[in-house]
Amino acid sequence: MMPEKQALTTTSPVRGPVSGGHASNALAAGLTRALGPRKVLSSVSERLNYRYDAIQFGVTPLCVVLPESTADVVAVVRAARAAGVPIVGRGAASGLSGGAAPMVEAVVVSFTRMTRLEIDAARREARAQPGVITLKVSEAARPFGLVYPPDPASFRTSTIGGNLGENAGGPMCFKYGVTGDYVKALEFVDADGGVHTLTRDAYDLAGLLIGSEGTLGLITDATLRLSTPAPYTRTLMAHFPEVGQAAEAVSSAIAAGAVPSKLEFMDQACTNAIEDYLHLGLPRDAGALLLVDTDGDDLETVEEERDLVERACLAAGGQVRRAHGDAEAAALWQARRSVSPALGRIRPQRMNEDIVVPRSALPEVVREIRALGDASGLTLVQFGHIGDGNLHPNILFDPRRESAEAVHELAHKIALVAIRHGGVLSGEHGIGTMKRDFMRDAVDPVTLGALRDVKRALDPAGALNPGKILPDGEGMEHG
Amino acid sequence: MNNDIPAHVPGGQGQVMAHAVDACVHCGFCLPACPTYALLGDEMDSPRGRIILMKEVLEGGLPLMDAAPHLDRCLGCMGCVTACPSGVPYGELITAFRGWSEPRRNRSPLDRAKRYAILKALPAPKLFSVAARVGQYAKPLAPVLPDMLRSPLDLLPEHVPAMQPSPALTPARGQRRGRVAFLVGCAQQALTPNFNAATLRVLARNGIEVVVPDGQGCCGAAALHTGARGEALKLVRANLEAFDPDDYDAILSNAAGCGAGLKEYPMVLRGEPDEARAHAFAAKVMDISEYLNGLLLDGTLEPMVPTSRPLNVAYHDACHLAHAQGVKAAPRALLRAIPGVTVLEVPEGDLCCGSAGTYNLEQPELATQLGQRKAKNILSTTPDVIASGNIGCHTQIQSHVRRQRSAVPVMHTIEVLDLAYRGEL
Repeated sequence: MMPEKQALTTTSPVRGPVSGGHASNALAAGLTRALGPRKVLSSVSERLNYRYDAIQFGVTPLCVVLPESTADVVAVVRAARAAGVPIVGRGAASGLSGGAAPMVEAVVVSFTRMTRLEIDAARREARAQPGVITLKVSEAARPFGLVYPPDPASFRTSTIGGNLGENAGGPMCFKYGVTGDYVKALEFVDADGGVHTLTRDAYDLAGLLIGSEGTLGLITDATLRLSTPAPYTRTLMAHFPEVGQAAEAVSSAIAAGAVPSKLEFMDQACTNAIEDYLHLGLPRDAGALLLVDTDGDDLETVEEERDLVERACLAAGGQVRRAHGDAEAAALWQARRSVSPALGRIRPQRMNEDIVVPRSALPEVVREIRALGDASGLTLVQFGHIGDGNLHPNILFDPRRESAEAVHELAHKIALVAIRHGGVLSGEHGIGTMKRDFMRDAVDPVTLGALRDVKRALDPAGALNPGKILPDGEGMEHG
Repeated sequence: MNNDIPAHVPGGQGQVMAHAVDACVHCGFCLPACPTYALLGDEMDSPRGRIILMKEVLEGGLPLMDAAPHLDRCLGCMGCVTACPSGVPYGELITAFRGWSEPRRNRSPLDRAKRYAILKALPAPKLFSVAARVGQYAKPLAPVLPDMLRSPLDLLPEHVPAMQPSPALTPARGQRRGRVAFLVGCAQQALTPNFNAATLRVLARNGIEVVVPDGQGCCGAAALHTGARGEALKLVRANLEAFDPDDYDAILSNAAGCGAGLKEYPMVLRGEPDEARAHAFAAKVMDISEYLNGLLLDGTLEPMVPTSRPLNVAYHDACHLAHAQGVKAAPRALLRAIPGVTVLEVPEGDLCCGSAGTYNLEQPELATQLGQRKAKNILSTTPDVIASGNIGCHTQIQSHVRRQRSAVPVMHTIEVLDLAYRGEL
């Protein structure tokens, strides 16, 4: 079944069944009385700036609340519930799946002022409110000789709350895992305004909240695990005539026992976009580039692992360049970090896929996606955390020249490739609105029913971030 | 981002704005780079939010006066331009927008009078000098004056020096190796005449002949960035008349704000008859540190005398040098070229000090918060000297460093070099 046409950039036609202007004015006025004017935004110029994330524009919220404490969040949830108005949580709104964009008229709760952060070095923990910027956790931990490994590309901007909502990953995820792997405890406010404190034992409810994109509760505090940094790192770059060969090298290196700390790939379109932008001297003719870091406490093992990767790359038909020294390694990684900026210069809009496939299927998957891109006439590039099987095929488009339907159709075909090879729809960016339609392809009806039951159990009225993750049958169900 | 900005903005300015809005993919990478977002934590006071507000106003979906408070709080520091992964020319957007919106604004008579006074006094060094001297005597009254009058007084130095007009021609010392034109700037002639004197000495010492062309005036940046486009155009055209780019190796400025302003001339005149001349002019414009760093790279910079003791210099990046002009390495390299100097990096170095042209006068509360934060960050490095390349930053930092009871000298980078040449560091 073809998915319904999706509004990629304009105001969504989806509307909630709730509250006209009168109720919203009353709600904003009530919240202003309860929380003070500094925390409640109700003018049009203020509200219209809380309807988007990095991908999607949604519906202008009825009002925006900038809470400064858990008690403030409880007050918003209770007031919104009484008024029958949905709630959309938001961090820095740098997400790439539409997760933070309100799809119905709602109260937006923006966590950017909840920024308390404490490091407990003895327990190797960071206690962070949701508005803490991810980079700040690492900066605060550094003087204690500790690090916070999850490193989404947006770590300078994105918040811990957003990372938790999307279960964000990053280049380090292959060896060190994603955000969810570093959560020891969470505090969250449920749809009724109840405050809960969760650890990871018994029912792992915290695990359920992580990656739930604000549809099950609003996370108001997180206890995060810190670790010690690896003292040794070695870096290499390999390039291959054809994109599938890079994937073969990855499969065989990992099968041989290598566990690189970072393993990233970029296809030719990506490499050329970066070259056009930065002129780093990357091989423009290569079908794909691999960037690999191995790290650890023992230099000999770190170098052995790099040799293992190098042999796999050579066997797959690649050419290898080892980085000599930190400066050269940094120069090589600059290429990877520049992917987003470079792509932004080609087309004003992009649809970011986030599939994960079994590593054994990587060569075939990247080849099939390349062929789909070529056949579509749209600009398609591929990059991603290939060590994890996490690929980011990006469709670059200009909405004035290229149709939203064509973009959506290609995205759907790519999703189907992942599913056909035993993969999933999202590695780190969430389902949001962008891949919601594809859930029917990815998840069988019985399991989808179970997901709906979970949603109903925690949010019977469907008031939390409606229009996300679950296709139809989900939304506000007020009488 | 998609936009529907109608072609009701004449000349090239409508295109400038539509192009900038187009380029924004609303990724949010600009948020942590924005000083007002750092202070206020809301989307409307972030670059991404302001782009949306401007787009909505231009499209006719939002009344200008609803967006204005947030747009007025933008310092124009261009920190977001450096941080932007998509190359959005935010500076061009906000400058063009301010030019477009100013005539449509309904300002109070008092507000109008204040802006008129600022825009008249700033580009007129003699008038400014008189005002500064009067202000100097009014300083003791500052605590009892309203904000509007107090904030400029707070920034005045204890002692306002006498004006020192720059000579029309400063010959090269020794063999002549180059010939440059020099923009003398406005406020700094009155407040810190030594900036220009030091500049002329250092250039001459390096065999560079310096011409101060007659007929030059204010660069126009202050007028342009506060929306007085008509005023700005007069100043821009006067300078294009005064400086013939063919006559000089370079056109130099030692004030980051002015230098950035001069480099903007092609944007200001986009679509106008003088556009080609503006391009030729802007191609020759350099900051003093860029020019001297060229000599350093060529190996022709005259060596400086080693310092008498190891000297830690905290270098503050002026926004209009680092972000607007992309000049970060050159001043550091020059300071490091002085034997005995160590250059210190300042925490949150990319965040504006709050001076930002006339911002201090228009948004005193936010400017003060940023000034305090900057002074605290700089002093945390325990420097012997603080250096920067802009009169606005200089005044602001000096004022806040002194309020934090520190006596560390605050200098222009060129003053540090000048002292090094004289063996007085």
